[in-house]
Amino acid sequence: MFLALRELRRTWRRFILIASVVALVALLSTVLTGLANGLVTDNISGLRALPLTNLAFSPGAEATFSRSSLGPEALESWKQEPDVKVTPIGVSFVNASSASGGRSIDVALFGVAPDSFLYRDAHGAPDQHEASRGRPLHGLVLADELKEEGVKVGDRFRIGTDSGSLPVIGFTFGGTYGHAPIAYTDLGIWRQALFGNEAEPRYSALALQLPSGFDVTAADRRAGTETVSKQDAYAGSPGYSAETGTMTLIRAFLLGISALIVGAFFTILTIQRTRQIGLLKAMGASSAYVLRDGIGQIAVIVVLATAAGTLAGSGVIAIVGRGAVPVELSASAVIQSALLLAGSGVIGSLFAFRRVTRVEPAIALGVEQ
Amino acid sequence: MTENEGNTPALALRDLSVSVPDGQQTRILLDHVNLEVAAGELLAITGSSGSGKSTLLALAGLLRRPDSGEVTICGERTSDLGERQRTDLRRRQVSIVYQSANLVPSLTAVEQLELVGHINREKRKTARTRAESLLEELGIGDRWNQLPGRMSGGERQRVGIARALMSEPSVLLADEPVASLDPELSVQIAELLASETRSRNLATVIVTHDEVPLNYAHRHLHLEAGKLTDVGLADVR
Ligand SMILES: Nc1ncnc2c1ncn2[C@@H]1O[C@H](COP(=O)(O)OP(=O)(O)O)[C@@H](O)[C@H]1O
Ligand SMILES: [Mg+2]
Repeated sequence: MFLALRELRRTWRRFILIASVVALVALLSTVLTGLANGLVTDNISGLRALPLTNLAFSPGAEATFSRSSLGPEALESWKQEPDVKVTPIGVSFVNASSASGGRSIDVALFGVAPDSFLYRDAHGAPDQHEASRGRPLHGLVLADELKEEGVKVGDRFRIGTDSGSLPVIGFTFGGTYGHAPIAYTDLGIWRQALFGNEAEPRYSALALQLPSGFDVTAADRRAGTETVSKQDAYAGSPGYSAETGTMTLIRAFLLGISALIVGAFFTILTIQRTRQIGLLKAMGASSAYVLRDGIGQIAVIVVLATAAGTLAGSGVIAIVGRGAVPVELSASAVIQSALLLAGSGVIGSLFAFRRVTRVEPAIALGVEQ
Repeated sequence: MTENEGNTPALALRDLSVSVPDGQQTRILLDHVNLEVAAGELLAITGSSGSGKSTLLALAGLLRRPDSGEVTICGERTSDLGERQRTDLRRRQVSIVYQSANLVPSLTAVEQLELVGHINREKRKTARTRAESLLEELGIGDRWNQLPGRMSGGERQRVGIARALMSEPSVLLADEPVASLDPELSVQIAELLASETRSRNLATVIVTHDEVPLNYAHRHLHLEAGKLTDVGLADVR
């Protein structure tokens, strides 16, 4: 890169435009990464936080709780599997109307069994006895988010049509599912609230803690269930696939755009430099030497511009994050996004590969083959 | 080279022919041209514009291939060589001096020479030292840190010659090296090429339509209608 670096230093003005464009693309990509991750977190942080490895749904439910219904046979069958911990879970989206005159709230109601690994200890509960491990939750343990909206311990909410009202026992880190804050309650209360007193002992799905290497297919066949990993279950959350799909598409486009822009720029640069490339070859430089020099130069610009744009984008996300928009940006996500972008830019410069190798040394003398 | 250095010409062109498209027809630019240049010899080739002088240099410098015939450099036949080997041979044995120097605009004088060292995978330090002393030798040592845009035409051509000498070639090809210089500078540059040819034992070919270089050449050939004819010996300096 003897020539490339000196040229960069002495004619840097030529590269301002391309560097700005690459930096802006990097900024946009970083902001989108922050928004996409924020959206994902806002959608499934509650499910992600549950201490389970897999979920068993009824066949054909496609990891969607509202389409799935399982009974005691499936639970019994899974209980027979060695080294497996299993507990039923009920999940429904409900509107909880205030029985104490406040506003109503939309929640994802999670019914969990007492003494199971899904059971949540509430913090801030006045009656320790009632909210402690091993006893059914006679009320609601709400996601912390709702506390910020003014809901207090002791408030009462009515769920479904004919049930009585349920008190708020306390709060816990609940997170969200399908963009709704989670409300934990006892599995029996969940069933009664949704299906009435005569309801059969059914539930939405089975939460599983499976040892690694466990043969899911065989167990599914025995139990008549369809088991997916926790990550695959995210897709069942309302809107999740559409949201992540859209974001992935936009980011893929940005990568493609960045590759095209850099490719176009390098192609123009190569055309402008045809005589100089001919001269280098006449001096005995190989095509590989000329390519190393040119692509190295592009790489320096792309890496610096991407770093600057990514830094600026992280700043934007930090500012946006103070407001109500859900954003999330981890260091690894930032680095991954920047590396992808820089990589696609450098790959873009390969568009000019043939153009460089085809330049004939004879043009240095003004005669071509 | 080898023990037969005395009788192997540094540069030999045998039966070279090149045709170029000319409208609907093809025009024979070089017609079975033969030429030998020995180490230490300075050859001048004249010819009207468009007679194929630059094309002849491009063939001799392995920048392009003839339709037929053979180019031999330091005893090595080149027609059977692949592109990579030709590039390699060119890098080691051939240098070109261009009309109006053809320097890289973004490199200083000393860097023009260092670039040659870099292409030849020479150590940074030794390349730098050699580059500085070459510029000194050619009388432009004080211009080492100047970009081409701020040099005079004569200075540029001196840097161009220094750059050509940097790779320590056996064959030096100069395409109209004094065409863009005034008479006084032309004499200086022609003198310089002649003295370097002598001191470095180069096989030098100067293509020119100027009279000046003829005064320094050992032989003078004329290119016309695809044929090279010997105009006779100039007086040897
Ligand atoms: N590849 C080519 N295609 C068409 N014409 C060419 C080609 N190469 C050279 N020529 C023609 O051959 C002639 C000789 O060119 P050149 O060697 O540059 O002559 P000189 O250097 O003597 O002026 C010119 O008329 C040029 O247009
Ligand atoms: Mg010419």
